[in-house]
Amino acid sequence: MIKSMIALAKMQFSQYNIYKSNFYLFTLNRIVEVIVYIFVWQAIYNQTGELAGGFSINQMITYYILSVTISPLVHWGINEDIAYSIRNGQINKELLNPISYFKYYFGINLGEMGFALVVGFATFIICSIFWSVVFPSSLGRFMMFIVVILLGIPITFFLQMIVGITGFYTNSIWGMKILRKAVISIFAGMIAPITLFPNWFQKLANILPFKELIYTPINIWLGQVPINDIYFIIIKQVIWAIILYSIAKIFFNHAVKKVTINGG
Amino acid sequence: MTRVLYNIKLYFSFLLASLKEILIYRVDCIVGVVSQIISQLVEIIFIWIAFQNTENLAGWNFKQVFLLYGITLIAIGIADFCFDALYYLGPKYIKQGEFDKIMLRPVHPLLSIIGSSRAFTAIGYLGLGFIITVTMFIELNIPITIFLILKILFFSIIGALIIGAINTICSITSFWTYRSNEFIWSFFKMYTFAQYPIDIYNKFIKILITVILPFAFVSYYPTMDYLGINTYMTYLSPIIAIILWIVAVKLWNFALKKYRSTGN
Repeated sequence: MIKSMIALAKMQFSQYNIYKSNFYLFTLNRIVEVIVYIFVWQAIYNQTGELAGGFSINQMITYYILSVTISPLVHWGINEDIAYSIRNGQINKELLNPISYFKYYFGINLGEMGFALVVGFATFIICSIFWSVVFPSSLGRFMMFIVVILLGIPITFFLQMIVGITGFYTNSIWGMKILRKAVISIFAGMIAPITLFPNWFQKLANILPFKELIYTPINIWLGQVPINDIYFIIIKQVIWAIILYSIAKIFFNHAVKKVTINGG
Repeated sequence: MTRVLYNIKLYFSFLLASLKEILIYRVDCIVGVVSQIISQLVEIIFIWIAFQNTENLAGWNFKQVFLLYGITLIAIGIADFCFDALYYLGPKYIKQGEFDKIMLRPVHPLLSIIGSSRAFTAIGYLGLGFIITVTMFIELNIPITIFLILKILFFSIIGALIIGAINTICSITSFWTYRSNEFIWSFFKMYTFAQYPIDIYNKFIKILITVILPFAFVSYYPTMDYLGINTYMTYLSPIIAIILWIVAVKLWNFALKKYRSTGN
């Protein structure tokens, strides 16, 4: 089972690799995004000379560089593929695959994540040439950073599934996609560290699963999270993965029952 | 000259057809508009958070930066509505061979492509930009005179033309790569640099957005004029728009000669 999932992942990855220009453009895109954030914060720090949200200027710059580095892992995924296969009638065949629908798309999703990782890595390397990046204080912290990010992959996958499955009802998931992206950007701390938001927002972000996708791993990297918190973080991620999986599964079963295939 | 006028007249008949299309796809239109506004929340929250930490950004206060943001949205909205189809030049027209049909029309292919734009979602940008702009003018105690409205309208259209010309130049790559969307998007995204006072940037980015990709003339210099900070730079923007369009059309015609159909 895992073998076929890896095969699917490889297939998806090589599909991206056909166009080398994709890689350069996606990386450029990431860097364009980070430039505005960094220059605005530099202007603010130069003006006030105070710490914003407990971050020094170098930590803040590192925060945003890591944020755009990880964000492809969080934002990319298979929701458009699912919606496309529903629109096209391809889902007919996919439901008959010897591999289950969820596992099939998880394999494809892994391929996508592989490409996101390559783009993220390139972004990080280029950014660290231009700006001084703070590195984690110990290898243990770096490993924790990786673990929390990897545990985020199932969470984003199930979210993508849920958004993709709405394609059964609406034919176009364009709006849902943008909504997902905006909610994650805001609650994951992609726009700004969550400590800079109002109190009620921080409380809400503590409950929702999005914080662990970006804000928490970066703070582990920067040394703002005590090592002992890691167990609590992992438990929260596992619980949310189970909750989102159940929602996706129930939603999917309900949708397939009343599936109306568009010819194809 | 008569040819230019003829083409402009033709363009307006294309525009009318797209406006009628909005009335047909009413639900898609509403979903698109709402999601576009949600996606802009990310930018708004970032500006808000930045100003929680500082009084001013390179001498611009909160209200002035928001005015700049609103004016940018109006220009982006017009550009998105009028030039959206350039994104599909590679994947839809050239790759699938539809471009050959367009070449047979007695209209310049570029006009045909641009004329088929119908990004309803741009209404979200326009509406939001309009609300923010008006609110900020009132907050800043700047009287909204008819002259000011005409000026904003004029410079927003000029700004949209500048963006359109840049997108047109970028779209040329699709004659070779068959995929224009990512390339245009990567460069188009740099407009966000000009959403903030350009004094926060270093020399390289200042030159980039005033000379190489003159996004600063889309909204930054016009806004300085409305605020009465600097009133002469903005009058360069019509000249820049004209120069850019001459370059764009020349380059496009050159690429057209090299065009070899994918054969379909």
